[in-house]
Amino acid sequence: MTAIAESNGLWESMYQGRTAFVRYWAYIGLMLGAVGLAMFGGDGYTENGYIFQLVGQDGLMWLGTGALLGAGLAIGASMLRPEMIDGYIPKMMVSWFDGGALMLVLMGLLTLLEPTAAMVSYEDQTNLFAANVIMTMNVLFLFSAICYIAYLFAPDSFIGSMATATAWAALYAGGSALLLRWYESYLFMDGEIGHAPVSNIYEVFILLFCIVTIIYLQWEKRYEAKAMGAFVMALVAAGVFFSIWLESVGQAEIKPLVPALQSYWMKIHVPMNFVGYGAFAVACGAGMAYLTRMWLEARNSKMVRVFPSLEQLDQLAYKSVAVGFPAFTLATILGAAWAAEAWGGYWSWDPKETWALIVWLVYGAYLHVRISHGWHGKTLAWWTVIAFLVTVFCFLGVNMYLAGLHSYGRLS
Amino acid sequence: MPAMSNSTDYLKPILLRLGSMSLAITLLTVLALASVIGTVLLQNQDQADYLQQFGPIWYWVFRSLGLFDMYHTWWFLSLLGFLMLSLSVCLWRNVPRFLKEMRGSKVALSDSAMKHMKYSRHWDLKGTSADNVLLVAKERLKEWRIREEQRGDVSYIRADKGKYHKWGYICVHSAMLVILIGGWMSVQFGFRGNMNVGVGSKESEISFLKGTSTEYMKMPFEVRCNDFSIDFYPNGMPKEFKSNLTIIDDGKEVLTSDIIVNEPLYYKGVRIYQASFGDGGSNIHLKLLKLDGSGDIDSAEAKVYTTFKDEATGITLEMTDFRPHNVENMAEAGKAKDFQDLGPSVDFVMRGPGLKPVKIRSFMDAFELNGENRGNFMQVSFSGNTQEFESVALGLDMSNPQEWELLQRFIVHLAGANLKNQQKANMQAFKAAMDDVFGKDKRPDNFQAMAMRVLQAVQVIPRLPWPYIPVLDDYDQKYYTGLQLAEDPGMNVVWTGSALLVMGLCIMLYVSHRKLWLIVRRKGNDVSISFVGLSNRNPLNFDREFNEILSLMDDDMQQLKKGDAV
Ligand code: HEM
Repeated sequence: MTAIAESNGLWESMYQGRTAFVRYWAYIGLMLGAVGLAMFGGDGYTENGYIFQLVGQDGLMWLGTGALLGAGLAIGASMLRPEMIDGYIPKMMVSWFDGGALMLVLMGLLTLLEPTAAMVSYEDQTNLFAANVIMTMNVLFLFSAICYIAYLFAPDSFIGSMATATAWAALYAGGSALLLRWYESYLFMDGEIGHAPVSNIYEVFILLFCIVTIIYLQWEKRYEAKAMGAFVMALVAAGVFFSIWLESVGQAEIKPLVPALQSYWMKIHVPMNFVGYGAFAVACGAGMAYLTRMWLEARNSKMVRVFPSLEQLDQLAYKSVAVGFPAFTLATILGAAWAAEAWGGYWSWDPKETWALIVWLVYGAYLHVRISHGWHGKTLAWWTVIAFLVTVFCFLGVNMYLAGLHSYGRLS
Repeated sequence: MPAMSNSTDYLKPILLRLGSMSLAITLLTVLALASVIGTVLLQNQDQADYLQQFGPIWYWVFRSLGLFDMYHTWWFLSLLGFLMLSLSVCLWRNVPRFLKEMRGSKVALSDSAMKHMKYSRHWDLKGTSADNVLLVAKERLKEWRIREEQRGDVSYIRADKGKYHKWGYICVHSAMLVILIGGWMSVQFGFRGNMNVGVGSKESEISFLKGTSTEYMKMPFEVRCNDFSIDFYPNGMPKEFKSNLTIIDDGKEVLTSDIIVNEPLYYKGVRIYQASFGDGGSNIHLKLLKLDGSGDIDSAEAKVYTTFKDEATGITLEMTDFRPHNVENMAEAGKAKDFQDLGPSVDFVMRGPGLKPVKIRSFMDAFELNGENRGNFMQVSFSGNTQEFESVALGLDMSNPQEWELLQRFIVHLAGANLKNQQKANMQAFKAAMDDVFGKDKRPDNFQAMAMRVLQAVQVIPRLPWPYIPVLDDYDQKYYTGLQLAEDPGMNVVWTGSALLVMGLCIMLYVSHRKLWLIVRRKGNDVSISFVGLSNRNPLNFDREFNEILSLMDDDMQQLKKGDAV
C-alpha cells in the first residue's frame, strides 16, 4: 500500500521474506485478539464500551497476546517449512495492514492537535480538528485530479508522479481524518454518542473517496494505467465538491445514532457496501477511459499513446467489477442480516433494498454478457458507465427522492 | 414410441430456451425494471391518497395491475417463479456437463487446437532425450496439476491450475435457487406482524397487511408489557427504546426480559422485536380558562385517543397525542446549538358550534428565554394541518392562578379608564388590578415581570375566538410499545444460499482455469518441443504468469541444449 515500496532496498526487504511473513501473522493475531476480546474478554461487546476496552488494559492483553502468538507461530512455521515464506497472500496483504497501521499512527499524532475537551461541545463543533484534515484531503484530491488530467497532455513531465503522490497523500489524510472523527465523537456528552464514522452520508463519502482511490492506485501500480486516473480522480473530485456542499448545509456535524443504527452490523454492512460502490466507480472510470480512447483513435489524436490499450482498459473495467460485485453481494446479504435483526425481516422491498437488488442485477447481467456471451469493448464500456449512474442513484437518489425505512443518510 | 420421441422433440427446444443465457439476461433485466416501479410508486398507502394523486382513470389502471402492492402481485411472483424454473433448467443442463469436464479433460492436444492458442513457444533441441526434457519440465511445473500421456512419438504433459473454476458457476446458480426457495418458504410458512401493547396490559394478536387490507392472527402466547422507557440524548434525539416484556403461555408466566432495538427476544420460534412506540392513552388534565369575562377556571379530563365533551358549550376536545418532552434548538440559525426542553405538551382538536375546527398543541410549562419567564404558549394550526402550526404566546404564566386573576382585573379597569394617554391608562389600570389581587399597596416580588406578561396577554388573549383556552395542567403518562413479531422458517435457508452465493462468486471471479501443454516430439536423436497456454479468465495476469514460466522454461531448454542435463 505504500507508494514508494518498489524503489528502495530497505523498503524492499521489509516486504519480502521472513520479515513480511512474520509481520503478516502478527497482524492477523492482533485482529483475532480484537475479535476474541469482543466475544470472550472483559465486559464483552457493547456498543460504546468496546472501543475503550480496546485501548485499555484488556485490549493491550488480548491484542498483545494475539500479535505475539501470531508472530511466534509464524516464526516456528517458517523454520519448519521455509517455503511458506514465499506465499503470495502474506506478501500482498502485509502492505495493506501496514497502511492501516500507518493511518492509526497518523491519527494518534493528529489527536495531539485536538483542542482540549473543555473547548469542544456538541453544540459547537467548529474547532474540532478533523475538519481541517478533511479540508486538506479535499484540496489534495482536487489537486491530484488536476494533475492526472494534465498528465494526459504532458505525459513525460513529472506531473504524473505528482498526481500519484498527491493521491496517496489524500488517501492517508482521508483515512486518518475518519479515524480522528471516530475519536472526536467520544469527546462530548461524556462519550455517550461515540460511534464509527460511517453513520451519515458525509462520512461515508470520505470513505468512498478513499476506497475509490486505493482500488485505482492498485491498478495503476500493477498495470501502469495512469491515464485512467484522469477519469477516476475526476469522479472523486466531483464527489469532493458534493461533500463540501454537504458540509456547508450542516451535514458534517457529529450526531448521535438513532437506536436502529446502534449495531455492529452498521460497521460491517456500510463499509462493505462502499467497497462495492467504490469498485463500480473505478469500473466507470475505466469505461470512460475506454470510450475516450476510442474517440481519440477515430480522430487520429496523438494523445492516444498515453492511454493503456483498449484491451487493457476493458480488462481493468472487468477487474473492478470483479472486485465490486462480490463485495456488493456480501454487503447486501449483511444488510439483510441486519434487517432481520432490527426489523424482523430480511427483505421488505424497501426502496433502498430494491435499488440494491437492481444494481446487483445490472452488474449480474454485465458479467453474463461478458463471460458467457463474450461481449467486449464499446458496449461494455457504456455498460459500466450507465451501471454506475444506476449505482449513484442507489446510494444518493434513493435517499433524496424515495421514502423508506432507511432513515440512514437521508438528506434533510 | 414415435409419439413419445415427438413429444421430447417438442420439449427439447423449449428446455434449451428456458435454460439459456439470453433468457437469463432478459429475466434479470425485466426483474430490474419491474422493481423500479415499486420503488417509485409508494407501496401500500391509503387508497384514498392514490385516488387523489392519480385521478380516477390512472388509479383504476394502476390498481388493476396491482401496482400499489406490486411485490405480491401474481405477475411479479410468476416472474420470480419463472426465474426459479429457468435456473433449475440451466443447472440441470449444465451441471453434468461441467462435472464431466472437470473429471476427465483430455491430456492430448490436437494440432488444430494448438494453432488457436494465443500463447505458444517452440524449441528444437538436438542430442537430448525426450525423457530428459520431460523430467526438467515436470520439475519446473511442480506447482501445477500434471498429467501425462504418450501417443506414439509424441509425449504430452498437461498442467492445470484452478481447475475447479466451474464449481463457482454451480455454486452461484444453485445459491440463487436456494435463496429463492428460502424466500418462498418465508412467505408460505412464516408470518410477520405488529402488536401494540400498552404498559400494564397484555395482547396476543398481531395485525399485518395482506394486499391492501389489514388482517389479524392469534399468537400461541400472550405478551405483557410491564414497562417501557425511552432514553434521550441531551439534544432530544432518542437514544434507546426499552420494553420489559413477560411472555404468558397457557396462563403461566414463562419468561420476562428486556428488549431493545436490534436485540430481539426469541420464544417458541417467534422473534419479538422492538419496532415502535406511542402514547398508550395517557391521562390528561386540562385547565379551561374561560374567556367570558367571569375569570373562572374550569377543568377537563380525558385520556389520549378519547374525546372530552363540554355539555354546556357543546365544545369537544379530541385528544390525539401527548409528549413528555419537546426538545428544540433555540439558537438562531448559524449560531452554536442551544437545546432546550420545552416540557410536556398535549395535542388535541377543538371543535364546537360556530367554531372552525383547530388543532392545538398546548404546553404545560411557561416558556423561558434567556432566563426570563415569558409565560405559557401554545401552537395552533387554524387550518388543521400540523405543518402550519403557529405559536401563540399567551403571555401569562398559567401555573400561577393569580396572574390570570390579575389579567381579568386589568381588563375590567382598562375598560373603565377613559384617559387619552394609553401608557398612563395602562399604568393606572395595572395598579388598580394589583391592589385588587394582592391588597392595597402590597406587591409580590418580581411584579415588574408580571406586568410585562399581563401587557402581552392583554394583546393576545381577548382576541382568541374560543369560549375558553385549554391549557395542559397535569398528566399521567402511559406508553404503548410497538412490537413486531415474526416467524421465518425460510431464513436459515436464505442464509445458507447467501453463503453459497458469496463463495461461488469468489471462485467464479477469482479462480481462473489455466492450462498449459508441453508437447514433446521425438525425431530420431532430436526433439521438438511446443509449449502452449490458455486461461479462461483474467488475461492480464495470465500474460504475466505465462511469460514468467516461459522465461524459466527457456532457460531450462538452453541448459539442455548445452548438454548439461540435470
Ligand atoms: C445476477 C446473478 C447471476 C450472476 C452473477 C451470474 C453469473 C454467471 C456467470 C459469471 C456465468 C459464466 C459462468 C462460466 O462460464 O464460467 C454464468 C453463466 C450462466 N448463467 Fe448466470 N448468473 C446469474 C444469474 C443467472 C440466472 C438467473 C440464470 C437463469 C435464468 C442464469 C443462467 C446462466 C446460464 C444459462 C449460464 C451459461 C452457463 C454456460 O453454459 O457456461 N444465470 N452466470
